[in-house]
Amino acid sequence: MQAQATISNPGAFGTLLRGEANTLAGWSAHFDSRRLATHIGVIILGAGLYGAAMGWWREPLQALFVAIKFPLILLLTAFGNALLNGMLAPLLGLNISFRQSLLAVLMSFAIIAAILGAFAPLAAFLVWNAPPMTPDVKSTATYGFIKLVHVVVIAFAGVVGNARLFQLLVRLGGRRQVAGRVLFAWLAVNLFLGSQLTWIARPFIGSPQLPVVFLRDTAFQGNFYENVFHTILSLLSMN
Amino acid sequence: MNDMNPPSPIPPQIPPSTSLPLGPGQRPPGDDPAEREPIPGVVTAIECILRQPRRVMCQLRQPGSGKLIAAILFVAVVCSLIYGAVVGSFSGGVQWWAAPVKIAAGLLISALICLPSLYIFACLSGSQARLAEIFGFVSGLVMLMTILLIGFAPVAWLFSQSTESLCWMGTLHLLFAMIAMIFGLRFLSGAFAQTNARSQAGLSTWIIIFVLVVLQMTAALRPLVGTSDTFLPTEKKFFVSHWFNCLDQATRDMSRHSRDRSRSRD
Repeated sequence: MQAQATISNPGAFGTLLRGEANTLAGWSAHFDSRRLATHIGVIILGAGLYGAAMGWWREPLQALFVAIKFPLILLLTAFGNALLNGMLAPLLGLNISFRQSLLAVLMSFAIIAAILGAFAPLAAFLVWNAPPMTPDVKSTATYGFIKLVHVVVIAFAGVVGNARLFQLLVRLGGRRQVAGRVLFAWLAVNLFLGSQLTWIARPFIGSPQLPVVFLRDTAFQGNFYENVFHTILSLLSMN
Repeated sequence: MNDMNPPSPIPPQIPPSTSLPLGPGQRPPGDDPAEREPIPGVVTAIECILRQPRRVMCQLRQPGSGKLIAAILFVAVVCSLIYGAVVGSFSGGVQWWAAPVKIAAGLLISALICLPSLYIFACLSGSQARLAEIFGFVSGLVMLMTILLIGFAPVAWLFSQSTESLCWMGTLHLLFAMIAMIFGLRFLSGAFAQTNARSQAGLSTWIIIFVLVVLQMTAALRPLVGTSDTFLPTEKKFFVSHWFNCLDQATRDMSRHSRDRSRSRD
């Protein structure tokens, strides 16, 4: 008996990850509440799992807090900048609606979260193999290595998500130059808001000297850019 | 009036595929009718993965491949338990059951930890493979690895009975595992190439991750070869640091041994 023909991947998840621009452009053209819920679900689950793996090294409670905070940052960035992103696109030559711009950004964030979720078991395995957090942990090679792995994984997910977003924008706008301009503008505003949200939502990995908290008492004191500026100033004064 | 455009006897050209080109002598999966024959049982599955890997790849891509995957996993678990017993025979005692359990569980957990990232890399490479297919390919990788380990088992057993060096036995098992892994990964690469993937870069990255996870698992579940008071280690270590410690210990043991011998001669 001969086997049946090979079946291909019909799932929306695979379509999203492969960045099939024609299908994704179709998705962004029509509002579908179920699809929107799926994208938000992927963001909550994927980023939540990775966040849990990240915070687990400090304590299980820290894992729970980061599992809530990480997806929250992605969603707040997408919705907080939705209006601005929707206005920037037509101003930079890409004539798409507000809904299309929001859905496009959400799709790219869903891709990022899916990649993070897939790497969550590896991150958890890494943390499981690390020695427990001690007061002098920040001076150890293990701390540096774990931090580096998180940076590499998040950067990889971000690059892939934005590459897929670029392909979608090219499909929607027809010109690479325009798509590049819009992507650059969206990246700038999303990074600007995202880094401040991340600053407020700290800690993520956690510190053994400080108690496990959802937000630090100093969460709303100062901002990310002030801190970077002060760091640069202190470096210059040291020299 | 004559038809200006008579129908051409040549069928229209299929547009060139953007997936990975098949190498010289390579055929698409299921091209040979023998490859489309279902794999009925465990014994056939073992024979096929060694002699007709393309038949296994083809069958794993069919709907309802669950039974085949279950058979593959069953073989992988049995083979890893047998090889684990050979590993445990070096120390005996608790290791008779601890080593097989650790090796079987370690391999399966490594595969499960790495499965989601392989699926993501497959999708990012443009592959059309479903998660179930990817799971089947990874199961095939583990099965081929463990079957090959069974092939090495008599050699490993002979050495474990004739040496007392923990370091030597650890290195030997690691060498066998690496050889088995190379063949297993070759099977996986072959299967991956047939899923319309446009690039192998994602798979290459995943292979590095998988090898690192398996190596780390040897440190996380230690001791596999030697003995310990506890089932799992109380101290967390990365595998490189664990190996260096083992080598250091072996060097000290050897120098003490040679000192003792020279003293006894005096």
